[in-house]
Amino acid sequence: MATYDFVFDGLGLRDWCGDAGGGGLSSMADLLSETSGEEATVSAWDTPFPSLDALHEACDKIPQSRELTLGLERGFLDIKDTLKIVVDPITQPLSWALENTLWLMQATPWWIMIPALMLIVYLVGRSFKLVGLVAAAFGFLAFVDYYDYTMQTLAIIFVCAVICVIIGVPVGIAMSRSDKVQRVMIPILDMLQTLPPFVYLIPLIFLFSVTEPKLYGIAIILYAMVPVIRLTDLGIRLVDKDVIEAADAFGMTKRQKLYGVQIPLALPNIMAGVNQTIMMSLAMVVIASLVSAPGLGVLVLRGIRNLELGVGLLSGLGIVLLAIILDRVTKAALARINASQPR
Amino acid sequence: MKDVQSENDIKISIRHLYKIFGARPQEALEQVKNGMGKTELQEKHGHVLGLNDINVDVPSGKTTVIMGLSGSGKSTLIRHLNRLIEPTAGEVWVDGENILEYNDKQLRKLRKVQMSMVFQKFALFPHRTVLQNAGLAPSVEGERERKYADEARKWLDRVGLEGQGDQYPHQLSGGMQQRVGIARALTSNSDIMLMDEAFSALDPLIRTDMQNLLIELQNELQKTVVFITHDLDEALKLADHLVILKDGFVVQQGEPQHILLNPADPYIEDFVSDINRARVLRVRSVMERTTKPLAETAGDIDHDDTLESVIALSEGDTTLSYRVIKDGAPVGLLNMRKLVRALVPSEQSDDPDSARRSG
Ligand SMILES: Nc1ncnc2c1ncn2[C@@H]1O[C@H](COP(=O)(O)OP(=O)(O)OP(=O)(O)O)[C@@H](O)[C@H]1O
Ligand SMILES: [Mg+2]
Repeated sequence: MATYDFVFDGLGLRDWCGDAGGGGLSSMADLLSETSGEEATVSAWDTPFPSLDALHEACDKIPQSRELTLGLERGFLDIKDTLKIVVDPITQPLSWALENTLWLMQATPWWIMIPALMLIVYLVGRSFKLVGLVAAAFGFLAFVDYYDYTMQTLAIIFVCAVICVIIGVPVGIAMSRSDKVQRVMIPILDMLQTLPPFVYLIPLIFLFSVTEPKLYGIAIILYAMVPVIRLTDLGIRLVDKDVIEAADAFGMTKRQKLYGVQIPLALPNIMAGVNQTIMMSLAMVVIASLVSAPGLGVLVLRGIRNLELGVGLLSGLGIVLLAIILDRVTKAALARINASQPR
Repeated sequence: MKDVQSENDIKISIRHLYKIFGARPQEALEQVKNGMGKTELQEKHGHVLGLNDINVDVPSGKTTVIMGLSGSGKSTLIRHLNRLIEPTAGEVWVDGENILEYNDKQLRKLRKVQMSMVFQKFALFPHRTVLQNAGLAPSVEGERERKYADEARKWLDRVGLEGQGDQYPHQLSGGMQQRVGIARALTSNSDIMLMDEAFSALDPLIRTDMQNLLIELQNELQKTVVFITHDLDEALKLADHLVILKDGFVVQQGEPQHILLNPADPYIEDFVSDINRARVLRVRSVMERTTKPLAETAGDIDHDDTLESVIALSEGDTTLSYRVIKDGAPVGLLNMRKLVRALVPSEQSDDPDSARRSG
């Protein structure tokens, strides 16, 4: 006899359950009690929680929890094909962008690539110290033969961060303009931010083949987009009400207000969001090497799998160097924006 | 003909304007129209009565000052003139058109072309230079900086900011920032200038400077200015027409001197009791009108002189009388005893006093 027989007996559902409750050998406990030849008497202390499995013992009609997960899986597989029809074409440009950027950054010879990066850093940050740091870091990584991996990681971060900004800023603007949109978006953003990064990968693996770059691209973008959305929303909402009122009083259109007042004044916050987005892409690109994202993460993974301590440590150091550079450069850009419009 | 003329003299005309803040203003409006007051409405319905049946005519080319204590609805009222706030009921006529019937485009045009606004906290664009701020109105029209620079610079010079065009607002002091605010309003070339406590954030000396600047500009340009303040001295200094608000309704409006001499309400009495009347009252408000030739006057005074200056002239002698001159012609007689009586509020003539108590 199972613990919860009385529930179904009491409710008069025994017929609906069939008589399996008493008969069939449906669990290990039943089996044991059968062989030991005595009725399984469960003390109050051991009363199981009325879980799916426990109820199933009493009534066959109640599904086991294993069936629940199976059902979820089957349900997902059922909608997978329809989902793919929609999602595939939309995300195809992402694969394309990733493949091409990866190719470009690796195909360009190092003696063009490193100076080019130094030039970009100078244009963004206007600081020779920063340029020196970049040169030293890339020089070191190239010297230990990690140049290709570094470029791969950088290419992925670059593509994903750009897409995060392209999608995130308009979403943030929409949120700042309507409280309703904000109320809908905030729980979604909270969820995206609190889900462990690995969880993103699960549905994506089912949806796309592991050979497609967009698999990790989507995971990185979903994870890293949150801060730029949040800070765009915040930045625009924080723009001085009086200034907005002045813009209205002088007859500005919504568009003029957005481009002429709100975005320029929210720019420090938006840039802070971009900085965080880039840092989060870097974190995710390492994890995404589990699903075939190339780059330094692959080396870290190799270090773990094959217990190659040296490789793991050195590639870890490479990631730290990249993180420092990306952070410093975006912060330098932010500082320049702040300096141009102190309040 | 005369009728048309007098109609043309009114630039903005506010009719039965109500504003109620809250979730269901229309229901609350019924209560207000049935005579419910601000406090009662707030307690019983949780709605805030912002404006209660406002009727004001703003004369063209003059300065109209709206005065009232904090929370009396001044800012709410002025924001109805360019529809930064939508009314619950009522009409606002500008140049003969009801602006509440305007669509978005017409409304933007009204704000760009006919009205400009100066704010208490300046509300300059921190990311634009002083010149770009001054040229806001033309830049909203889509003009390039090169094109509007001359006009903007002209007004910056006029308000005393020569050569500051390339600064950013945060590099200027408060007084200078508000000068930019005024230049911004002037560059728009609008007839109407709305000023919401434009000088309240400035310290007293700068404030006096700015008031004088505004008076100077007014003499030159004759804009229709609607000026808000909670300071009676400022109101009396600037106003051609004075509107006094309390709890969202107009307690009294009219010529400032007249209000000062005939306060219609204890609220206004309180207001005017602290004022230096000798400095504010003019000869024309207390003189006896007469054109017949007068003997034994101690001298001539102008009808627009302050009583303070007459006291100084008489050296305190209350036995004297003066002939009052307007535009070169005698218009009346001022007796010093009468002048002294006018300086003390309670010594007012008895009939308005009793009328006020009973009403
Ligand atoms: N958006 C709003 N929602 C609710 N109540 C409001 C709102 N705006 C103004 N009020 C109320 O309307 C009344 C008038 O406010 P208003 O700002 O016009 O006063 P004010 O005369 O300009 O005062 P101050 O001198 O402090 O600027 C106040 O009681 C205020 O609480
Ligand atoms: Mg106010």
